Amino acid sequence: MTKAPSNGTDTTGDERRSTSHDPSTAGIENRIETEGDPGSGGDLEYEVVTTPVLVIGAGAAGARVAIELAESGVEPLVIGKRDHGDAHTTWAAGGVNAALGSLDPEDDWTIHAADTFNEGHHLNDPDAVELTTREMPDRIRELEAWGMPFDRTADGDVNQRYFGAQSYRRTCFVGDRTGEAMLETLIERAQALDVPYRENVMITRLLSDGERVDGAVGFDMETGEGLLFRTNHVVLAAGGFSALYHRHSSRDDENNGDGQALALEAGARLMDLEFVQFHPTGMVGDRYGEEWDGRLVTEAVRGEGGRLYNAAGERFMERYSPDQMELDARDVVARAIAREVREGRGTEDGGVSLDISHRDDQYVRDRLPSMVERFESLGVDITAEPMVVGPTAHYTMGGVDIDFRTGETGVGGLYAVGETVAGVHGANRLGGNSLAETVAIGKLVGDHVATVLTDADEDPAVTDSQRALAEREFEALRDLAASDGTVTPTELLEDLGDLLWDHAGILRDDAGLREGLAKLDALRERTADLRVEGDRTSKSFEYAVDLSASLTVAEAMLRAARERTESRGAHYRTDYPETADDWRVNLVLTAEPAGLSFGRRGVGDPSPAVRAALEADHQLDYHHLE
Amino acid sequence: MSTQQAEPESQEAPEDPAMKGAESPAADEQTGGGMVDDHAEKRAELEGETVHIKVFRYDPEVEGKQEPRFDDFHVPFEKGMTVLDAVMYARDEYDSSLTFRHSCRQAVCGSDAFFVNGKQRLGCKTQISDLEQPVRIEPLPHQEVVKDLVVDMDHFYDQMHTVEPYFQDEDTPATEDLEEQRQTPENREKIKMSSRCIWCGACMSSCNIAAGDNEYLGPAAINKAYKFAMDDREDEQIKEHRLRILEQEHGVWRCQTQFSCTEVCPKDIPLTEHIQELKREAVKKNLKFW
Repeated sequence: MTKAPSNGTDTTGDERRSTSHDPSTAGIENRIETEGDPGSGGDLEYEVVTTPVLVIGAGAAGARVAIELAESGVEPLVIGKRDHGDAHTTWAAGGVNAALGSLDPEDDWTIHAADTFNEGHHLNDPDAVELTTREMPDRIRELEAWGMPFDRTADGDVNQRYFGAQSYRRTCFVGDRTGEAMLETLIERAQALDVPYRENVMITRLLSDGERVDGAVGFDMETGEGLLFRTNHVVLAAGGFSALYHRHSSRDDENNGDGQALALEAGARLMDLEFVQFHPTGMVGDRYGEEWDGRLVTEAVRGEGGRLYNAAGERFMERYSPDQMELDARDVVARAIAREVREGRGTEDGGVSLDISHRDDQYVRDRLPSMVERFESLGVDITAEPMVVGPTAHYTMGGVDIDFRTGETGVGGLYAVGETVAGVHGANRLGGNSLAETVAIGKLVGDHVATVLTDADEDPAVTDSQRALAEREFEALRDLAASDGTVTPTELLEDLGDLLWDHAGILRDDAGLREGLAKLDALRERTADLRVEGDRTSKSFEYAVDLSASLTVAEAMLRAARERTESRGAHYRTDYPETADDWRVNLVLTAEPAGLSFGRRGVGDPSPAVRAALEADHQLDYHHLE
Repeated sequence: MSTQQAEPESQEAPEDPAMKGAESPAADEQTGGGMVDDHAEKRAELEGETVHIKVFRYDPEVEGKQEPRFDDFHVPFEKGMTVLDAVMYARDEYDSSLTFRHSCRQAVCGSDAFFVNGKQRLGCKTQISDLEQPVRIEPLPHQEVVKDLVVDMDHFYDQMHTVEPYFQDEDTPATEDLEEQRQTPENREKIKMSSRCIWCGACMSSCNIAAGDNEYLGPAAINKAYKFAMDDREDEQIKEHRLRILEQEHGVWRCQTQFSCTEVCPKDIPLTEHIQELKREAVKKNLKFW
């Protein structure tokens, strides 16, 4: 974990720039107080910050974009909702894929691409997949040059482990804290380059006319003060929306769809929202306490040989996937577990057992230190006894529709990257590919933005109309903070979580989705009676802000799931259990004045090299592991 | 579920807010950490019960809180409840003004190190059922208290940055020149534990030397430097530069091997050993003693 001394003091001292990265100094002269609109009661103090590029999100994707910009001589401003270094990337545990061939020299990037298409059921954007898989070996070497402490083979190469549905050992790792180590490395690099950042900032709206974005508005979560960021280039790297579900592997206050909602409102397209990855092995709350419900047990446990058993002691994956066993695709294993539990073969806590105790104790401690430590703190010794696990909402394959060579969204000046976007993973994500996407595409986007910047972007002027838009948003936020109804944002978010879990979960059908949409309408009506407890620095207010984004994305997700009348990857319709060839299209949606509008778009074909790898039909043979 | 918030026990509170944690009587009473032996038994015993926590309160800006005190809260016990869960419950259900840092809740962000029953611990990693009651929760000693359990971490971060905590290869090679650097598994093993630091500040807070010498780099910063200095992927010249930073007057030689940092580290980093190893390295390089 890497943190800077404090807000503002770690920003660069480049006096030539008139931007106010440092809130303690430059912000003051820009601070204005409006005269107070009639009836609004004043109190609209806010800070204006100008920057050539605003990167929203300080996880791996945002950090990698910022590093690339800084290496190209551009000084972006990175903002994050939490303390610096505390982004959700740190929860990525098991590893990052790159066809280095350290242990299996037969592997190459085309096979990595083929595995990615197969897992994604051929809905992936070919550009996205090929750029990611082809670039990854270099991105690993680069992380290595920046000091990332990868596990090593006996020969000193970067070590690689098995991960689900991958033909070869391809997943590079740092124990089971790969994301944490990767983000630490990226932040160290960003600090060596003096990349300015600002923590505890929430963005609530992008300044957009639907064609072009020219800034972002939000507030400082520690002071409650309004913030207007004036910039000609906004990069959204704000994560996904799996935390909308009742049981999820994210923090409750992250991955709640704010990035997608911001983009949609600004005029961008969203895509593939019906594809939500349920990770097979989340901790089961009834066994470990509600606080732990849904938290991830890394796939690396299975990659290192962990076995799944039902309550009868049967290794049930033999029935579902005799060749790939526990390491079949995540959707297959998740549905298998859900079915075992539903049919009464689960443990008394409503899960199944995941057991790694047959491996040598020291091996487990070396390879899975965080898991050992976490379960130890709960009084469970995983080197000796099994864990109780069940599926948990983990990752959203859908998101903003971008051009992967540039990160462009189709709205001028707005780019997106990381889990915020759709395309690399198609209908289901290969484990170890999310961290890969952040750095592979992050570099390309940073590189592209650096090339389109002009001198005029350096310190853009703030116009009256931008101020007016911002002030309208600050007023809306102030009104939101003053909500004094009877229902709290937390209650509504919990109800939303239950709704999505019940109606847009692992198994879906038309009737259930329709009912979900009806419930969503009812839930939306209850927001009129919202009660926010506390001021703009309170958790209650933060959740109230989240709520609006979450409802937008939830509706899009339910409607997309209803629209796709087939089963493919993570989207499983019990009323349409087969995969339909004519559904090999992406569902693309935009926000129109009349509501969400859906369109279908055909998927491109992979390059000849990748097609050859697909035809060679490489596959993991689980029994090689044993 | 009544709050049962007792009268402020100001007689228990130390005089100087900046030093309160360290001087609290709890520190002497329970240096053993106040652990309960039989975890499972204790946990079962607590089902359906409430847990008594005493939380340090202080706010220089609020009248009535300028005098440090402890507030009592009785929190319903739940399976798996951590110290952080307990203070969050107290804040959410009883007193929304109770202030503390927290974020990831799984011992990664390092924001919730507190002084619990006389020992520096991570709130999210400490099971409440493992502790003697009442559980006394205070801010980290030897750091200025901003408010309640929140301490000023700026000095700690400054010290961390003194050691230049990043790989010092000036430029990233062009993509076509990128080569995988080898690193022996032994060397990787050597730096592995040092890379687990989460910047929580528990070690610095536990260190008597740091308490007396404000300029002492402290265990966390020295460990951070260790991670880079011992990594064979950095070249000798940079290593020497790092050792020069470390062997200065307020560097490694200040450590008196009391092991308090190693004892409290929530990530089990052998901090004291790392400091000793750097002393040996400095001697090998003929860098001067203090």
